[in-house]
Amino acid sequence: MTELAIEGVRLSRRFGGFTALDAVDIGVKRGEIRGLIGPNGAGKSTLIDVLSGRAVNWDGSVRLNGEDVSRLTPQERRKRGMARSFQRTNIFPDLTVEQQLRIASWAVEEAEIDEVMSEFGLVALAGVPAGEISYGDQRRLDLALALVGRPSVLLLDEPAAGLTMEESLGLARTLRDLVTRWNVTVLLVEHDMQVVFSICDRISVLHLGRSLSEGTCAEVRANPTVIAAYLGTEA
Amino acid sequence: MNPTAQGTLAPSRPRTANKALVVLLIGAAALVAGFVLPWIGFAKITLSLLAQALFDALLATSVGFLFLQNGRVSFGQAAFFGLGGYAFGILVARNLAGPELALLLALAIPTLAAFLLGLVVARVTGVAHAMLTLAVGQAFYEVAFRWRELAMGDDGMSFTLPSKFFGFSASRLQDPGVMVVLAWSILVLVLVSLTLFTRSRTGQIAAAIRDNEERARFIGYSTTVPPALVYAIAAFVAAIAGVLQAVYNGYIAPQMFHWSLSGFALIMSIIGGAKFVIGPAVGAVVLFYIKDVAGQFAEYWPAIVGGILVVVTLTMPQGIIGLAVKQWRRRQRR
Ligand SMILES: Nc1ncnc2c1ncn2[C@@H]1O[C@H](COP(=O)(O)OP(=O)(O)OP(=O)(O)O)[C@@H](O)[C@H]1O
Ligand SMILES: [Mg+2]
Repeated sequence: MTELAIEGVRLSRRFGGFTALDAVDIGVKRGEIRGLIGPNGAGKSTLIDVLSGRAVNWDGSVRLNGEDVSRLTPQERRKRGMARSFQRTNIFPDLTVEQQLRIASWAVEEAEIDEVMSEFGLVALAGVPAGEISYGDQRRLDLALALVGRPSVLLLDEPAAGLTMEESLGLARTLRDLVTRWNVTVLLVEHDMQVVFSICDRISVLHLGRSLSEGTCAEVRANPTVIAAYLGTEA
Repeated sequence: MNPTAQGTLAPSRPRTANKALVVLLIGAAALVAGFVLPWIGFAKITLSLLAQALFDALLATSVGFLFLQNGRVSFGQAAFFGLGGYAFGILVARNLAGPELALLLALAIPTLAAFLLGLVVARVTGVAHAMLTLAVGQAFYEVAFRWRELAMGDDGMSFTLPSKFFGFSASRLQDPGVMVVLAWSILVLVLVSLTLFTRSRTGQIAAAIRDNEERARFIGYSTTVPPALVYAIAAFVAAIAGVLQAVYNGYIAPQMFHWSLSGFALIMSIIGGAKFVIGPAVGAVVLFYIKDVAGQFAEYWPAIVGGILVVVTLTMPQGIIGLAVKQWRRRQRR
């Protein structure tokens, strides 16, 4: 039995002549929170899309808790415990907060939704159509939708995009608490280094569609190639 | 967390149960009220027009339901209306089936056809969807219009009802008073059932798919079957209307498939409020009433309807029911 909750082997994806993902290997151990960083256009969202089943026309294979899920649809992967959020808010604007979480729960064995709702501060908004709540609340709802039913693997594409520093750190704290308590394995794409270093166990760096390095926060921070490719320009 | 907000969570279950009960009670009352319709002194001709308005209301309900649940605008719903009417008329006229079996097939064929079509057509949205359904609907019209051996082509075909229908004297179905009560009762049952469907799990999942198809897949749903099911249900309702009209008139004609019928049904649902199950039926009845009042100006009817549509879309974008609900909510808040 493998130790890896989610594993991508030689993942490649091309758009026309452009290679967005070039034989990338990635494996995240059960219970780990892995950061995925890299400059704009590095292929981070593409990698999440391939792992989650959103991408078409890609090469390689994806394993979820040891099972090959490469051919499975997103809904089949979700039923096996893989969930994701989106870089651009992706919720149900016409449905109320509570209704969409409830609908999400039906798909995964009647999971209860009260805990995610209160963890993400959505209880007071239960009856409000999601299109009418604030941007920050919508980001939290996007995450809550993914967390309903305690997935075993959570793929997060910049969950804090567009939030203030304070909101981002608050979200990171909530997330860290919840996934630790629920033993969820996380792959987190995030531009905000403060958020990444505050919650991730290990970090993978993508650059121009290739895997550049992988290690603990300290190792990555000290890696000269990473500094040159990414951190140097940010700091 | 604030205490009142916490409180809203707990009672939500019993409250939804109560709402379903309210829907059933209103439906029961409406059902009973229907039996009074023929006795309040309407002239026979008015009753006959009212029967036609109820067929229209069913077709409009079908069009509106498709929009409400799938978010799709159809210009081809008359195809299923016509298919229901034609299947029944042809089977009965040619003695291919008894009236009971004919009824069953006349409802099953359009429903199944719509389910299969829905698996494909649901992938198309917006104007493209409206055009595609228009084309599909007109294809049916062309076939009915040109194929003389089928049912006399553009002349249409008369047929006589068999003497008994489910043990009752079938000719009574062509009495305006009887048909009004029957069509009204069916309309009420349809509206109640559709309302309960929108509240059911399948209905809510279909609404989620309408709202955001991609996210629906990522929270774990197949997004092909629920919309196709909605197409099937909508077609079933349209087919009921088609069969009722065919039975009542003892006559079928290619006009039953015509896109203008779908277009009027769409206008009725916009006027009544397409975001509500009962909106389209209300729109149909209101238009019927205005048409009755407009009487001698009937030749300008399309222009009158156009004018009403303009006024409604400008002053009440959610239709009559939308406006009523808004007013009611505002009063409650005070
Ligand atoms: N549908 C597409 N068609 C063509 N090129 C695409 C498409 N999607 C992504 N790309 C390209 O692939 C590369 C990787 O994109 P991707 O969105 O994965 O980057 P990213 O690392 O998530 O960047 P960001 O930090 O901006 O979100 C980019 O150069 C992008 O322009
Ligand atoms: Mg991205």
